[in-house]
Amino acid sequence: MLSMFKSIPSHMDYKGQKLAEQIFQGIILISAVIGFVYGLIIEQFGWTVYIILAGFAVSCVLTLPPWPMYRKSPLPWQPVEPETCAEPSPKPQESLKKKKHK
Amino acid sequence: MNTVLSRANSLFAFSLSVMAALTFGCFVTTAFKDRRVPVDIHVSKVMLKNVDDFTGPRERSDLGFLTFDLSSDLQPIFDWNVKQLFLYLSAEYATKSNSLNQVVLWDKIVLRGENTKLNLREMKSKYFFFDDGNGLRANKNITLTLSWNVVPNAGILPLVAGSGQVSLPFPEAYETTKSY
Repeated sequence: MLSMFKSIPSHMDYKGQKLAEQIFQGIILISAVIGFVYGLIIEQFGWTVYIILAGFAVSCVLTLPPWPMYRKSPLPWQPVEPETCAEPSPKPQESLKKKKHK
Repeated sequence: MNTVLSRANSLFAFSLSVMAALTFGCFVTTAFKDRRVPVDIHVSKVMLKNVDDFTGPRERSDLGFLTFDLSSDLQPIFDWNVKQLFLYLSAEYATKSNSLNQVVLWDKIVLRGENTKLNLREMKSKYFFFDDGNGLRANKNITLTLSWNVVPNAGILPLVAGSGQVSLPFPEAYETTKSY
């Protein structure tokens, strides 16, 4: 069940993450300003809270799913090399770790 | 920010911080407001008895009965940082044994959205006006004040005394009734 969810790709690239953060901060700050002014005018603080919650919902829809606009600049990875000389290096590290734990 | 959960986490934390800042702003906009309004108190009848006080000193103590009219417009107190008002009418007087006595006679809660125009006629006090002795008889100066607590959404809980106190003398003699 959990692995089924984990298999859904949800990552964004680095520029996409920055863009998503700027988008939700902008939306929530704007809704906060609107809500504060509106609540102050009609003298109901509850409406301020409702407007922020609306901004929260909108930014959830806009930034939680990995929309294509957040995945426009993927990292140029090195091509996969055949695994040949990867054997000797991990073993000494493991032994070091064990010594540290003891 | 790389997974849905981490994005949801930072989004939620940011929203909560903004909401906390706005709540503080709501407090700041109303913190320095003057919440006094004029109150018109009129006492129509005063009655004084001398009865056994079973709760206090186990002697005969003075018990006052007041009938009062109360009118005030509380609308200016309400703003977006007020949930409700707790109004209470208190009597203040000095006796030989205590220089300051305060007794709450009556109270009322006015919720936001309720009728803010108080116009009460011939009200009886809700609570017993007992003195802890015989300080009420022939007391020349008993001051009634309507005060209120402002219960806010955020911030301090101000205690305000309404302007418009009334001072009255109490009778010299006790009322004696056969039914008591």
